Amino acid sequence: MLDSLVLSWRLVQRHWLVYRKDLFANILPTFSDPLFFLVAFGLGLGAYVDQVEGMSYSRYMAPGLAMSAALFTGFFETSYNLYVRLVFEGIYHAVLATPLGPKEIVTGELLWVAIKGAIMSFGVTLIVLAFGLVDARYIFLIPIIGAMVALSCGTIGVFATSKVRNINQFQTVYSLVIAPLFYFSGIFYPISSTPQWVQWIAQLSPLYHGVRMAQQALWGENVLEALLVHGSILLVMIFFGLFVSYKNIIPKLQN
Amino acid sequence: MIVICENVTKSFGSFKAVDDLSFQIPSGICFGLLGPNGAGKSTLIKMLYGANIRSSGTMTVLGRDPNVESHIIKKSMGVVTQDNHLEDALTVYENLVVYSQFLGVPKLTRHEKIMSLLTFMKLDHKCHAPVRTLSGGMKRRLVFVRALLGDPEFIILDEPTTGLDPAVRHLLWDKINELKSFGKTILLTTHYMDEAEQLCDHLVIMDQGEIQAEDTPKNMIERYCPGYLAIIESEMGNPVEEVDIWIRQRLSGYQIRALSLEALHQYLKKHQLEPKVIRPSQMEDVFLEVTGRELSQDA
Ligand SMILES: Nc1ncnc2c1ncn2[C@@H]1O[C@H](COP(=O)(O)OP(=O)(O)OP(=O)(O)O)[C@@H](O)[C@H]1O
Ligand SMILES: [Mg+2]
Repeated sequence: MLDSLVLSWRLVQRHWLVYRKDLFANILPTFSDPLFFLVAFGLGLGAYVDQVEGMSYSRYMAPGLAMSAALFTGFFETSYNLYVRLVFEGIYHAVLATPLGPKEIVTGELLWVAIKGAIMSFGVTLIVLAFGLVDARYIFLIPIIGAMVALSCGTIGVFATSKVRNINQFQTVYSLVIAPLFYFSGIFYPISSTPQWVQWIAQLSPLYHGVRMAQQALWGENVLEALLVHGSILLVMIFFGLFVSYKNIIPKLQN
Repeated sequence: MIVICENVTKSFGSFKAVDDLSFQIPSGICFGLLGPNGAGKSTLIKMLYGANIRSSGTMTVLGRDPNVESHIIKKSMGVVTQDNHLEDALTVYENLVVYSQFLGVPKLTRHEKIMSLLTFMKLDHKCHAPVRTLSGGMKRRLVFVRALLGDPEFIILDEPTTGLDPAVRHLLWDKINELKSFGKTILLTTHYMDEAEQLCDHLVIMDQGEIQAEDTPKNMIERYCPGYLAIIESEMGNPVEEVDIWIRQRLSGYQIRALSLEALHQYLKKHQLEPKVIRPSQMEDVFLEVTGRELSQDA
């Protein structure tokens, strides 16, 4: 078990070595996307919206946008990027000839995604903190919540990778799953003000639970309650996602 | 025995890529696995280290079952994969650092290890070059270094010299012989019959997932096409086989084989044939004889 984790960790180190070769291009969209949203909606729409949940619109959106960085990192890394490694570069054909097996490879991929999710969401949070949009007291929770969001969305990506027949099909997954998660997880408006059926659907979104935790943490209210309620639901989702994604991707690696 | 396979089968859906294969590889030899494209060689090789899971049969590699303990087997095994699958974005040295980590090469000895293997493969001058700038022959040598990082006692070479120029091929042959002299066990697949004849102590020819012939290169030639060949490129009215004279149609013309040079000359003279070449039988002839594939439809 420990040996296996050490091997997975070495794959994380490999990813970092490759990733840092093109660091700027790799990292830019993760930070620029949420910031453009913040500026465009916060300044544009914010001029018409007085207050959301008793705060400015920019302040309302900030925690959710930080979590969106984890969503996109989690999904893109385990869909397009993993597919390229798996099919186009085929590096896992060579990796499988070393002591790493399919399990270590998948665990390494997901560890990488969790770490990236933690760093990216924390990075965005630091920027919005600099603009005075969030409360710093519970900021240390953000990397953990970000890692959980990235992991849960990472399992969606891994599952998609195990099912797609070519790389273009990820676009379908993006349009039908990832984009709706982004729009219907309470980043841009409180889910509590939507019709009942939307609220029920939002409950199924891992991002929603991550956003709710991040919001309470960065607004500094009812933090413990949010962690207990949404944290436990998100954990269950992660375990379910891990189970389904391992089960489906391992036969792809080892056939 | 380094490898023991008994009745090993691998199916992809209803298609059997490897069909009821049994063979053994004793320690310290170079074992050659030959067969036409799609014969199932790479599939068999992947099963040896658990990258493919066999459908049935039993298999022991270095005393363990690769379906269960491939992570242990792979510590003592090095694989030159058919395709390079190198890290194109990284340098030669970085590629080897990554794989040293996968293999658990201690950090203290890592640099020394990498440099000595790069020197062994005559690649040390490219140490810090990005992989994408290397020639095909250099990339192949890098894959050899990658396979040797863990000091494997069992080395698998899946078409190590395909697409390489004669100078690189000869360098690799030298290195393979050197590895053999260190007592390593080698499993080699190749489409070059001269390579198989030169390097291998024992050969298996497989086709359509099954073993068709198995012996030493010398015995194979003795058994399947002993003697001498004449290649005739012109039309040959109605070729007739005689006692101890065998005729095969080739893509262009015919090939006539007799047990002795004398008998061959006699036959040629009698039928007034002008051969293009006369030569002793080789592994290539055995291969074509055994797989019967010269005019194959799926080649
Ligand atoms: N993952 C797979 N799914 C379906 N069929 C496969 C798979 N891998 C291999 N095959 C099929 O199994 C057969 C054997 O393939 P394999 O790669 O083992 O042949 P080979 O002897 O190595 O050929 P070559 O000399 O061209 O490398 C081929 O018909 C191939 O198409
Ligand atoms: Mg092959």
